[in-house]
Amino acid sequence: MLNFLQQPIPVSDWVTNATDWLTNTFAGLFSVLQTIGQFVMEGMTNGLLLVPPLLMLLIVTAVAYFISGKKWGLTAFTFIGLLFIYNQGLWTALMNTVTLVIISSLVSIIIGVPLGILMAKSEKAQSIITPVLDFMQTMPGFVYLIPAVAFFGIGMVPGVFASVIFALPPTVRMTNLGIRQVPTELVEASDSFGGTGKQKLFKLELPLAKSTIFAGINQTIMLALSMVVIASMIGAPGLGQGVLSAVQRSQVGSGFVNGLALVVLAIIMDRFTQNMNRPKSNKEPKTAKQKKVITGAIIAAIVVLVGGTVISSMLGDKKETVNLAYVEWDTEVASTTVVSEVLRDMGYEVNMTPLDNAIMWEAVANGEADGMVAAWLPGTHGTQYEKFKDKVENLGPNLEGGARLGIVVPSYMDVDSIEDLSDQANKTIVGIEPGAGVVSAAEKTVEEYPNLSDWNLMTSSGGAMTTELANAVKNEKEIVITGWSPHWMFSRYDLKYLEDPKGTMGGEESIHTMVRQGLKDDMPEVYNVLDNFSWELEDIEGMMLEIENGTDPVQAARDWMDAHEEIVNSWKQ
Amino acid sequence: MSKVRVEHLTKVFGKKSQQALAMVKENKSKNEIVEKTGATVGVYDASFEVNEGEIFVIMGLSGSGKSTLIRLLNRLIEPSSGNIYIDGEDVSKMTKEQLREVRRHKINMVFQNFGLFPQRTILENTEYGLEVRGVAKEERRQRAEQALDNSGLLSFKDQYPNQLSGGMQQRVGLARALANDPEILLMDEAFSALDPLIRREMQDELLELQQRVQKTIIFITHDLNEALRIGDRIALMKDGQIMQIGTGEEILTNPANDFVREFVEDVDRSKVLTAENIMVPALTTNIEIDGPNVALQRMRKEEVSMLLAVDRKRQLKGSLTAESAREARKNELSLKEVIDKNVQKVHKDTLVSEIFNLIYDSPTPLAVVDDNDRLMGVVIRGTVIGALTDIESKDETTHEGVTTNA
Repeated sequence: MLNFLQQPIPVSDWVTNATDWLTNTFAGLFSVLQTIGQFVMEGMTNGLLLVPPLLMLLIVTAVAYFISGKKWGLTAFTFIGLLFIYNQGLWTALMNTVTLVIISSLVSIIIGVPLGILMAKSEKAQSIITPVLDFMQTMPGFVYLIPAVAFFGIGMVPGVFASVIFALPPTVRMTNLGIRQVPTELVEASDSFGGTGKQKLFKLELPLAKSTIFAGINQTIMLALSMVVIASMIGAPGLGQGVLSAVQRSQVGSGFVNGLALVVLAIIMDRFTQNMNRPKSNKEPKTAKQKKVITGAIIAAIVVLVGGTVISSMLGDKKETVNLAYVEWDTEVASTTVVSEVLRDMGYEVNMTPLDNAIMWEAVANGEADGMVAAWLPGTHGTQYEKFKDKVENLGPNLEGGARLGIVVPSYMDVDSIEDLSDQANKTIVGIEPGAGVVSAAEKTVEEYPNLSDWNLMTSSGGAMTTELANAVKNEKEIVITGWSPHWMFSRYDLKYLEDPKGTMGGEESIHTMVRQGLKDDMPEVYNVLDNFSWELEDIEGMMLEIENGTDPVQAARDWMDAHEEIVNSWKQ
Repeated sequence: MSKVRVEHLTKVFGKKSQQALAMVKENKSKNEIVEKTGATVGVYDASFEVNEGEIFVIMGLSGSGKSTLIRLLNRLIEPSSGNIYIDGEDVSKMTKEQLREVRRHKINMVFQNFGLFPQRTILENTEYGLEVRGVAKEERRQRAEQALDNSGLLSFKDQYPNQLSGGMQQRVGLARALANDPEILLMDEAFSALDPLIRREMQDELLELQQRVQKTIIFITHDLNEALRIGDRIALMKDGQIMQIGTGEEILTNPANDFVREFVEDVDRSKVLTAENIMVPALTTNIEIDGPNVALQRMRKEEVSMLLAVDRKRQLKGSLTAESAREARKNELSLKEVIDKNVQKVHKDTLVSEIFNLIYDSPTPLAVVDDNDRLMGVVIRGTVIGALTDIESKDETTHEGVTTNA
């Protein structure tokens, strides 16, 4: 017994092994699903984007007008809200999010309603499914991202997978509840006339449970929407990426704008689904003509979507698409944007996918991303490189030297070495994202230096860390951070690296370019550019500062490219 | 050949049913059995026959198992043991498919709260039985409309149940069952959710309908009057067991046991009757306010020719006949001047036996007053005669514990 208490049960290993087993066993199935899902969703997004935004805006507004029973409030809100999103240049992101939410909700409904019926019909099923639903609903949504990446890699499909798991329960629960709430007498009436189970279900139970089921579906849509935002960490495109990058770079304004766009979308979706569920005030049965019109409208909508899918897949992508993965650090935003712009000039379609560090490596290794220019070697990403080096191709450094990690303090603090730290700054080192290389190095540092034994390493995000730093410097407070170069903070504030006698933070580093295997044969031009891409510390720091001062990354990249045409041309050789 | 024959039908809900059945045999009460075993005895050892074309009423207090019994007949509830024969075929042994056929063609049900589907129109409700049978749309429309027409509801066919009154809804429930043209109708407290006036109307309608369609009807009620009005034969249930089966007359004249006797008694035998127990509300006119026109108007409305006259404090002042009111109107007199002050008064605690002698001598009803001489009600001849029959059959019970509901 004591033994048992001292030995942790290897639950984590079990789960890992089970997931690995699933990933290997069903690899074929997953990749088929991934392909189909990706095709359908990209088609749908492209279909939605084929419609000119202003026309779409008017259509949705008109639908809002009719669906809300000709109330002006919702109509005006829809119009102004969508106009705002369009004006902020978030239309494409919005359409991506809409696609994700619609597909997630549809899948949830297709799985959830039959499951709810099963639960209502069988006590045993109910007793089995209920705890599973509890588990699904209370497990933090982030957890679902991990197996989602293992199964489907990055992009839309894992986003849908995670959203479905997270958003399914309300539909199941409410379907079950709605059917169980049908009065006994009515069920008896149906039985006493010799109705079969199926007749009872379709003629009595589902029509009566409809409004409860709709309430569940409404909840499901809202949950799917919130999960889609979280799923942007694993490359689900849309408004979530804007929110996430704003969080990681501490940009209040852009976070607010993206968030507001999501609020608008959520309110529109919520009101639409609620109004669909409105009990008809005048219980006039729908005339045949009305039914025809409604059916016609639904068919038309499907035709537009499917047609959009087909058309966009036929004439759209004559351009080849390059997928670049990156981490939302200011260095990588700068370098990845520049590379993307260069490739776009050469006529490629480029998808830049912001991911978490570990997932970025995994994406390139699995060939879901074509490449990245964000590998810090030998130290920072040493672990990842060890793990994936057989599956990626290292094209060498794009930034030689000058890159380094370290423990950084403002110059006004009178410590010069990590060994001098004793009780400054509440014994806290402010770090960035938990998965980042610099954080692993800092963890090692805290372990190695005896004077840091009771220090805390507080993880947050790149943006949160710089905000903390700005506040500390403004108030001349003590602060210790995990820093790295190149970074604009060195141009803006007077900072210094602490000496690292034990070398735990690593020495000078280079930033390397990694591409997936087989890129050379598939896209020799792209491979070539990535292979040639390299620049100097002042290039990148100058561009980073420009971005930090409020220039749009794409604009900053363009400015830099205009100023350095020779370098850019040398990459294209 | 009986239409429905039930033999030793038993239903126990819950586990430990054997133990519960053993306790039933020992005549333990329902509560005791539930406390001991957790099992509820719904119906115990019921046996009876219902003949073709008769209205067979099952009566009992709530919890006596009558609703369970009727649901056992079409197997909405599965019996624990026993057999049900319809036309000689054992329903309790049938497969699902056979049972479905029986339910579709032979036996239909009308429910206490109507059991109408709220999302379907009246017409769609009525044709439901035909719809699940797979009858073609045109034909089922026609038959449903015919059934609605018979109950005078055709003009409401496109309305929804919640737009109709209770009585109408129950007519729809009945039409829905009849559209199917079943041989047996089960009616589970079909009129209990209706108000008394509509209820009587529906009872009459049912009897009239029965003249025309000659169905076998098994009717459940907890109301003795209803049972006596419509039942050809009555079965009385208590705690899941049938106490007695017979015509209304048989049950009233030869109650099988004390329970039946008490059940059919209109009057609580533990009480010694006083004027207060048998009085009915008085029809009054307030002579300080009303004039002759008002008094006459009230007489017309209540279909009487006489009112009791009171003042503001409901003190009895006399009686007013239609003639004197008309006279007052003609001669423009006030009511005070024309009332007959000679009214027989009795105190509310006066015993019925004393009232007999008074009421024979009095042309007008007796006014019942309380200690402060306030009018409480009147005693009319009919009620006294009703009371008299009970008194005669009553043993001289003690006068202790006499309660009056003031």
